[in-house]
Amino acid sequence: MIQEIITYSIIALAILFLGRKFIFKSKNNGCDPGCGCS
Amino acid sequence: MGKNNIQVSLIGNPNTGKTSLFNKLTGLNQKVGNYPGITVDKKQGVCNLSSKNKAIITDLPGTYSINPTSLDESVVLKVLENPTGKNYPDVIIVVSDVENLKRNLLLFTQVQDVGIPTVLAINMADEMDKKGISIDVPGLEKALETKVILISAKKNTGIQELKSVLENYKVLKPVTNFSEVAKRIDVSFFDALQKVNPEKPLYHLWLSATQQSFRDVNKEDLSDFLDDVSKLKKYQHKETIYRYQRINNILKENYNLDKSKAKDLRSKLDKVFTHKIFGYFIFLSVLVLMFQSIYEWASIPMDFIDNSFGSLVEYTKSIMPEGMFTDLLTDGIIAGIGGVVIFIPQIAILYFLIAFLEESGYMSRVVFLMDKIMRRFGMSGKSIVPLISGTACAIPAVMATRTISSWKERLITILVTPFTTCAARLPVYAILIAIIIPDKKVLGVLNLQGLTLLALYALGFFTAVISAYVLHKILKIKSKSFFVMEMPEYKLPSFKNIIFTVLEKTKTFVVDAGKVILAISIVLWFLATHGPSSYDKVEEEVREEIVLSEFSEEEIAQKIASKKLEKSYIGIAGKTIEPIVKPLGFDWKIGIGLITSFAAREVFVGTLATIYSIEGVEDEGTIKERMEAEVNPDTGKKRFNFATGMSLLIFYAFAMQCMATLAIVKRETNSWKWPLVQLFGMGILAYVSALITFQILR
Repeated sequence: MIQEIITYSIIALAILFLGRKFIFKSKNNGCDPGCGCS
Repeated sequence: MGKNNIQVSLIGNPNTGKTSLFNKLTGLNQKVGNYPGITVDKKQGVCNLSSKNKAIITDLPGTYSINPTSLDESVVLKVLENPTGKNYPDVIIVVSDVENLKRNLLLFTQVQDVGIPTVLAINMADEMDKKGISIDVPGLEKALETKVILISAKKNTGIQELKSVLENYKVLKPVTNFSEVAKRIDVSFFDALQKVNPEKPLYHLWLSATQQSFRDVNKEDLSDFLDDVSKLKKYQHKETIYRYQRINNILKENYNLDKSKAKDLRSKLDKVFTHKIFGYFIFLSVLVLMFQSIYEWASIPMDFIDNSFGSLVEYTKSIMPEGMFTDLLTDGIIAGIGGVVIFIPQIAILYFLIAFLEESGYMSRVVFLMDKIMRRFGMSGKSIVPLISGTACAIPAVMATRTISSWKERLITILVTPFTTCAARLPVYAILIAIIIPDKKVLGVLNLQGLTLLALYALGFFTAVISAYVLHKILKIKSKSFFVMEMPEYKLPSFKNIIFTVLEKTKTFVVDAGKVILAISIVLWFLATHGPSSYDKVEEEVREEIVLSEFSEEEIAQKIASKKLEKSYIGIAGKTIEPIVKPLGFDWKIGIGLITSFAAREVFVGTLATIYSIEGVEDEGTIKERMEAEVNPDTGKKRFNFATGMSLLIFYAFAMQCMATLAIVKRETNSWKWPLVQLFGMGILAYVSALITFQILR
């Protein structure tokens, strides 16, 4: 049960992180992940 | 001081040898350096011009312009604005170095406009011959309306002539050309400014308005002019442009640089590095060496990292209790991190070599060399900078196009830059090359894998250039541009700077790209280990199917794992797009990689690592070994054979698989039209090229 709670929390965090990076910030300075730039 | 003492100020750009000249004139021994900023405050000494006359020489800090940008630069203006000051000069010597006369003359014209007799001393004249420079001194004197003396503070030449000019300074008349400049900027504005104080020179009033100098002008009288700061800035900008236009015309008549006659080491090296045949040959050899090194040096640390992560997975499984989180940790998180860390050696070596070439001054020669080619394909010489920096990342490269003045050339450069092989493609190329290209030598020394990587970089570059030519012909936009660049000196690269660059770039890759790869790996792990209701019945179905067959427990477990992946959410998504990617030689698992790597290309390898980790029953080895072992059920042969591998490489070379680049192109072109053109144009090219590649090689 504890393993499942931790797992689902991590997955939720990962989804939130990706959503924030690519949906809400994609129009920002563009220097987003995956580009290897600074 | 006696009656026959004259006050002389030494003014000049930093690093022109002012302090050396000061020492020669005064016999003092001030510290001299070959870097700017030696003189940060004024220094004084006495120079005996003759038995009767002496000159008090004041050495002022180096400055590029009379408009100060720092505290030491403001010392110059402070001396010139105060005619009652004890250091106010009777005559000014503007010291210039022979190589950068154009830049130095900007300061000269400004100083001359203050209205004090000003002479021009061109230092380092002993190097003119070596550098292929010739100057028409009488012509220059006529154009600048003053005395011009060629000197060498180092070789002690021209110093006597300069002293005699100082002794007879009274024959020099104050000259000011500012009213001509002012007329071209805005006649009515400067007429109104002159009316504030008709007695004062116009340039003093202008400096009062822009620099808060020449303080004898009442600030309240100037209040109408001080309110609009942006207008003042605009006019200052125009002033600089008009000054440079005049300087260009003067130098065109009186200054000649013939590189073919140059004899110094720098010129000799330039001649070789920018030679129309050897230049390209050397550049190609440098590139071959670079990509050889990436493969030769990186293989040992990469194998070490790969094996370490394999062991870490096994160790984690052995100490953790069985369960969902343990599976996520080993197959999702550790596999994901491993997919990032493994590329550190190659990326660090690539950046090390690029930083080395930039620091040494060689990269600027490449820019110059490539200018001739770029022009033929509708781009600017400056386009080579985005194309080279695109090897790191298309995003700063697209932003670097801002230096290109022509909109058409800039747009073309923006559109083709994503073809250059960025760091994000490197992991994809590296793993595929390692699988499909044998690790052997050609011609005895060249590593075949390194050559393949070089060929992919060349493919990206040439596709960019050819696309630029096509766009140049298609796009109907009229604009003009020109290319000017200053070549830096050759120097031994600073090890500290290079290490800093390597650490910075590698850290950015690991931290920024790594976070996304890790997050996507976690989500993928979930999508690959969960599915709709049929997913839970997979084990039961497989066991029923094979009930009469004689499979070992291990083989049964392998079959269950494969079937489960196929029935998972990610399997369903991959299966859905499989008909589209099958003609390219890809299966549904590669299809999943194509989907996830749209966020960022390097996610492809992480995706496959996660998929194969989940599918594998036991840890069978490294990511590369697992990919190599993958079998195509239709043919019974290896999935990543030469045809599929090449098709994938070609697809990644051309496809616009980067959301961040699309976002930045939208921002730079202020329209969704161009990123969409890029997305579909590059996508179609990638698909068709990969299709042709696979169909020919299969």
